[in-house]
Amino acid sequence: MPTHRPEPRRRSDVDFSASVVGLASAKVHDGSVTLIQAIGLRKVFRKPDKAPGIRGSLRHLVQRRYSEHVAVDSIDLSIAEGEAVAYVGPNGAGKSTTVKMLSGILVPTAGQVHVDGLVPHRARVENARRVGVVFGQRTQLWWDLPVRESLELLRDMHGIDRSRYQERLERFDSVLGLGDLLPVTARKLSLGQRMRADLAAALLHEPRVVYLDEPTIGLDISVKDRVRSFVRQLVSEGTTVMLTTHDLSDIEEICQRIIIIDEGRLVYDGNLQAVKDTHVRERTMSFELEDSLLGADQIAARLPGARVHLESNGRELAVTFDRMTLGARQVLSAVLAEVEIVDMHIDEPAIESVVRKVYAGQLQAEHGGATNSEPMR
Amino acid sequence: MRRTIRLYRRLLGAQVRATLEYEADFWIMSLSAVLVQGIGVVFLWAIFESIPEINGWRFWEVVLIYAFVVISEGLSTLFTQGAWTLAVTVNFGQLDALLMRPFPPLLQVLSSEVGFNGLGNLVLGIGLVAAAVRHVDFTWSPGRIALGVILVIAAAGVKIGLNLLTNCAAFWLRSPYSMFAFSMHTFGELARFPITIYGLGVRIAITAVLPYAFMSYFPAAAVLSDGTARLLGLLTPLVAIYCLWLGATAFRLGLSRYESSGH
Ligand SMILES: Nc1ncnc2c1ncn2[C@@H]1O[C@H](COP(=O)(O)OP(=O)(O)O)[C@@H](O)[C@H]1O
Ligand SMILES: [Mg+2]
Repeated sequence: MPTHRPEPRRRSDVDFSASVVGLASAKVHDGSVTLIQAIGLRKVFRKPDKAPGIRGSLRHLVQRRYSEHVAVDSIDLSIAEGEAVAYVGPNGAGKSTTVKMLSGILVPTAGQVHVDGLVPHRARVENARRVGVVFGQRTQLWWDLPVRESLELLRDMHGIDRSRYQERLERFDSVLGLGDLLPVTARKLSLGQRMRADLAAALLHEPRVVYLDEPTIGLDISVKDRVRSFVRQLVSEGTTVMLTTHDLSDIEEICQRIIIIDEGRLVYDGNLQAVKDTHVRERTMSFELEDSLLGADQIAARLPGARVHLESNGRELAVTFDRMTLGARQVLSAVLAEVEIVDMHIDEPAIESVVRKVYAGQLQAEHGGATNSEPMR
Repeated sequence: MRRTIRLYRRLLGAQVRATLEYEADFWIMSLSAVLVQGIGVVFLWAIFESIPEINGWRFWEVVLIYAFVVISEGLSTLFTQGAWTLAVTVNFGQLDALLMRPFPPLLQVLSSEVGFNGLGNLVLGIGLVAAAVRHVDFTWSPGRIALGVILVIAAAGVKIGLNLLTNCAAFWLRSPYSMFAFSMHTFGELARFPITIYGLGVRIAITAVLPYAFMSYFPAAAVLSDGTARLLGLLTPLVAIYCLWLGATAFRLGLSRYESSGH
């Protein structure tokens, strides 16, 4: 039985709820409510020390030895209602372990966690009513049942009424193309189909908080696009989303904030745009020219500090510049002053380079540039 | 409570439909159950051919004990077979999905499989009771019939609780096989016979430590009115509650140790 059970709330009561949510976790912050809060979150796994082979196993039976492995090491998180946060880090960094603690699957070794006023691993059933989780690596559908049946069982568990349920199905059908999948047994779905069905299952009850752990892993481009636009819609409706992914386009298209962890420790927590501004200042504008050009020196002279590169065919020009010292408009007018252009585009800085810097240990000491980076106590 | 029962039925029903996709399975499992349990009866009969009585128990009385085992086994297989999936579920981290649904995880585990062999058990068990009551000499009254029904259900509760308790070892052992629970189940098979034939150690183990004797010997004795065993037999419903509580507690403790799997 859950020990702590605030009144169930709907999304429409949110403003009102700021004063009602359990005091343990709620805090009004810029008029928004902190939905996910973790303080000093830690998870230590005990791994058996076993020599390989049968002899090792037998010896382990007699002489049990374990070594401790710290998967998540004192992480502080504070995520406000409606935020879309990317949770990023190399393999084995502790992302999934964090998500499992936030969703109540794992009991933390130490630290506190509150989600929407509940301690997830204490009030599991109530927690499950409010959050949705998708693990890209594993299905949550009933393996031997048709998708439709899984969804109906979930509908009964959540107590969703028929007409609402129908609306949800139609919505899932239009965005995820769920209709075709309904009669198929989960076991027979392809990866992309399974992911779409899993998303529907996790979001059927319109949870306030959604954790997506590598939801686009192994999907082809068209399914990825569908998943992304679906998640973008969720965010625009005010759902709080925490997204774990290795796909940097996922992050750029969905999230405003990025949290980077490595070896179980929080390395960076900040606003995505701010991160790009501070760490990815270079931008490239590419032009296709009307007439081929012999040299680009005159353009370069107009743009001090920028690198100008002309392809050998003389018709493709690329200008790389620091976005803090030069604006796109200045670059454009400098180019137009010298040549006629047919087409142009701007390459936005990719978050990839930031993450690379972090992985290379360059960002270790830098925290901030963010609105939500300091843990709330 | 009503919602809980309804959802439990829904979950089991879904498993029934999933299993019925393989119709052959249904018949093979049901028939094999009748066969396996039937062989036990033939074995009993063979023993009683050479000795008319064991510790004061005659053939048809032992058949009644046997019927208790077969029926409680049948009920637990039919309705709570999921307990036996716990080892695999825990080992492969598949409990994750159950923990994210708003229905008690324990009930989701128990209802995650339907053992159709339970049906065969029930048919055979009821047949055995019907045959036995005609041969044992006591008079049937409505009160005694009611007592019998209550005790059969309680006996099933004992079996279900003990199945759950022993299968919860999976949370500590972390092996994908239910070896421990299966050994205990095999130990519990001793309760198919009047336990007075065993030494003191076994009797204590099967009465007080893992009280498998309460799924057969004691309740059967209570129905047949047989001295102290009868008094103990009347306690079967309490023992059932105790066993179920033990199982649920083990599950709760186990869940707090659950570590999912690395992904
Ligand atoms: N159930 C588990 N038992 C033991 N070790 C685990 C378990 N789950 C994860 N780990 C270990 O914890 C570390 C973090 O894992 P995980 O959170 O899955 O990383 P990520 O999702 O960032 O790739 C890894 O070293 C992994 O091997
Ligand atoms: Mg992971």
